[in-house]
Amino acid sequence: MGGFLASRFMSDLFNGVANGIIFSLIALSLVVVWQSTNVLNFAQGAMATFATYIGMAQVEHGINIWLCMVISVVVGFIFGGLTERVLIRPLYGKPDINPIVVMVGFLGFLQFLAAAIWGNIPRILPSPFSQVFYTSKGHTIFLSPFVVFQILTAVTVMMIVALVFRFTTLGLKLRAAALAPEVARLLGVRVDRLLTFGWMISSAVGSFTAILVAMQNGSALSPSVMGSVFIFGFIAAAVGGLDSPIGAVVGGLLIGLVEQFTLDYWQANMAPVMALVVLIVVLMIRPRGLFTKNTQRRV
Amino acid sequence: MIRVAHLTVKYGAIAALTDVSFEVRPGSITAVLGANGAGKTTLLRTISSLMTPSQGEIFLGDTALVGQKTEDIARLGVAHVPEGRGVVAEFTVEENLRLGALSSPENSAHAVAAQFERFPVLAQRRKQYAATLSGGERQMLALARALVARPTVLLLDEPSLGLSPMVTADIMTTISTLSREEKLTVVLVEQNAKSALRIADHAVVLHVGTVVADAPAGDVANNDDLKRFYLGLVK
Amino acid sequence: MLRPNCHRLPTTSRWIVILGVTATALGFTFTFNAGLNAQIASGAAISIVVLGLTWLTGWSGQISLGNSGFMACGGYFVGVWANHHAATPLVISLLFATAAGALGGLILAVPATRLRGPYLAGATLAFATVTSSLVYVFGNWTGGPTSQLFLNSLTTPSWFARMFSGIQASLNSSAQYGADLAICVAAIAFLFMSNLFHSRLGRAMTLVRDNDVSAELMGINLRRTRTIAFVIAAALGGLGGGLQTLLNGSVTPGSFPLTISITLLTLMVLGGIGTLTGAVLGGLIFAVSSNVINWLCSTAGISSTSNLGTNMQGIVFSVLLMTTMLIAPQGISGNILRGYRHLIQRFTSKIDNSPA
Repeated sequence: MGGFLASRFMSDLFNGVANGIIFSLIALSLVVVWQSTNVLNFAQGAMATFATYIGMAQVEHGINIWLCMVISVVVGFIFGGLTERVLIRPLYGKPDINPIVVMVGFLGFLQFLAAAIWGNIPRILPSPFSQVFYTSKGHTIFLSPFVVFQILTAVTVMMIVALVFRFTTLGLKLRAAALAPEVARLLGVRVDRLLTFGWMISSAVGSFTAILVAMQNGSALSPSVMGSVFIFGFIAAAVGGLDSPIGAVVGGLLIGLVEQFTLDYWQANMAPVMALVVLIVVLMIRPRGLFTKNTQRRV
Repeated sequence: MIRVAHLTVKYGAIAALTDVSFEVRPGSITAVLGANGAGKTTLLRTISSLMTPSQGEIFLGDTALVGQKTEDIARLGVAHVPEGRGVVAEFTVEENLRLGALSSPENSAHAVAAQFERFPVLAQRRKQYAATLSGGERQMLALARALVARPTVLLLDEPSLGLSPMVTADIMTTISTLSREEKLTVVLVEQNAKSALRIADHAVVLHVGTVVADAPAGDVANNDDLKRFYLGLVK
Repeated sequence: MLRPNCHRLPTTSRWIVILGVTATALGFTFTFNAGLNAQIASGAAISIVVLGLTWLTGWSGQISLGNSGFMACGGYFVGVWANHHAATPLVISLLFATAAGALGGLILAVPATRLRGPYLAGATLAFATVTSSLVYVFGNWTGGPTSQLFLNSLTTPSWFARMFSGIQASLNSSAQYGADLAICVAAIAFLFMSNLFHSRLGRAMTLVRDNDVSAELMGINLRRTRTIAFVIAAALGGLGGGLQTLLNGSVTPGSFPLTISITLLTLMVLGGIGTLTGAVLGGLIFAVSSNVINWLCSTAGISSTSNLGTNMQGIVFSVLLMTTMLIAPQGISGNILRGYRHLIQRFTSKIDNSPA
């Protein structure tokens, strides 16, 4: 058994799932915002990084690592709300390109500002769990306590988001605000607040993801730490369909596995290429992603 | 109950409503009639603050509605069933009703159950997605959803749209019964003047954004000129 | 919002304006020092890329965040080619760069023309990332594991150097040659595009942008039109990237970073989306930006080597991009044009109202 678990295939599988679940989280937070406000948040990674810097800077002041993580997520939560109120609200009803341009500008702004404040030198974050791989009868299994923690918490976050959206009154309101904002308002739902709240949830999930990414083995917190992760996350969301939370999760796992197997069996630099190929193939067949019901073109 | 005073609404440079004034008495059914483009839907949308008038006032009792948020007007007890019914197709029948109960002060489970009792068809389809309902069932659902919050005013935009004469008659009877039993004030926007006049107490006829008649429904129904020129009822 | 106010000048006057601006710019290079000329050169190269982006976004309604990828196509092609065929004439190198960019655009257009809005923006962004990793994948061509290529720097032709010997010996003729070369290449690109903007294809493009259904009903092939738009924008990107490489004398993976896409977007939006004037202004802004930023830093007492100093340009550009889009989405040229129209209107209405 130990031999099988330590096989090349299984280690790729573990790594692929561990990375994929990160992409799933990014994709999920993109989908939450896209569904409700039809804005693709290009600054998502940068916002998360910024919140992580604020929270994790407290580690240096001797504050407990778990508390720092909570601070990051709370900062992300507030940050998301502020962004929606200040930057996004004036853009509703404008052409597609306006929010894209503004969010790309915001991405640049946050990334350069983070570099200006905290510098470009990566900071290694302490990890709350050991990053040493488990061994079984002398075989190394490519799972560490941290990876297990990463997968478990990511799944928990997804479950919470899913439960809130599917089974609570708040989720009902959020979905209604996304699907039929005008009808929701006619029924007395305060859509404006819900849109802000959607951004807050999304941004909080993003911050949590950024913490995981920065803590990973061989990674560290830098202003552009989320750069390529965001691209993979976007590809995952587009592959699954920007309207589908389930698509986001599946897309993330798929892209994670593609990335891992490519870099192991081919080379690391081909991983983004293969991810793009997957995106292109999927979008050629289903232009709105795998899990989106095809909607008619507006005339 | 509702008083509209000198209301002018514009889409850019084009006026959809010009100096419209009328009153809706509490507990009555007022039909707002007129051809396509007469400004009927604009009128309802302005009452619900989905559009902002350039001039004029709207009062619900003593409360001014112009300038209020749409969701606050809904919470004042004005239920608006929009054109095309506004049923959320991706939601089940039950979820649609729960959505209606959100702004209600009462226990929402009770309110939803009460509507299932009133519309047994919907109770049968409780877990079905609204997308799978027929036109008549959707209209029932839209009505039920509006009633969940126990409104005092019901604004209905073209409930007969796309329905067969038989189903239309059914819906109209339901509206009439509701108004009587629940003491609901109803503003019924219709192109189908004949069926609307059958249940209405009062009628307002709009033509290209102005009021051309404001009279008891019976008078309008008996006025051949009105019917010929504005309602297309007499050939 | 996006509709560029296409201010239609007749063809001849358009050519006269472009040639006039070119001649003026060339004239200025005689008075500039080497540093300023180098900035003018890279500004001219960037303006070509902005021109492509403005055509793609403003005229065909497709947004792209992947133009740094097209630049990389052109830049690396020139680099690789020059290392094998050192004696290639400039014009040929630049044509190759254009073709390489166009090829990149053609490949990307296959999926991209099926996508809209944010899907398109994201896919092009991914394309830009992929080009930079492909540079490493083909490391043995693009300069080994570090993928750095150094070219022979541009040699000033003797006739050009001779022009200076009499006038001002201190002038660095090689920097000026680079600037003049870049300005001339940009002028050709602008002339070409100014005709294209007003051609049958340009008009078809705006119809596809504004209402694709009616364009289709009029017999315009949507996919083909969008693909052509992509290829042209990519060709200009390749040309700009190739020119930049020749001017720098080197190309590295850091030559065309993703942040260039933000810069390009800023220049386009600032200048005014969909206008030739906007692209020229964009190039000009890029050329003088580092001077302005340095001045800003020194006035504010920020050391140019501090974290804030090195990131100042990025911060300023991003803030400009956001605020322009939020407050005045038509950019400089759009607003100038509006002011100009306003003046004309007031003038003509005065004439109308004046008693006969």
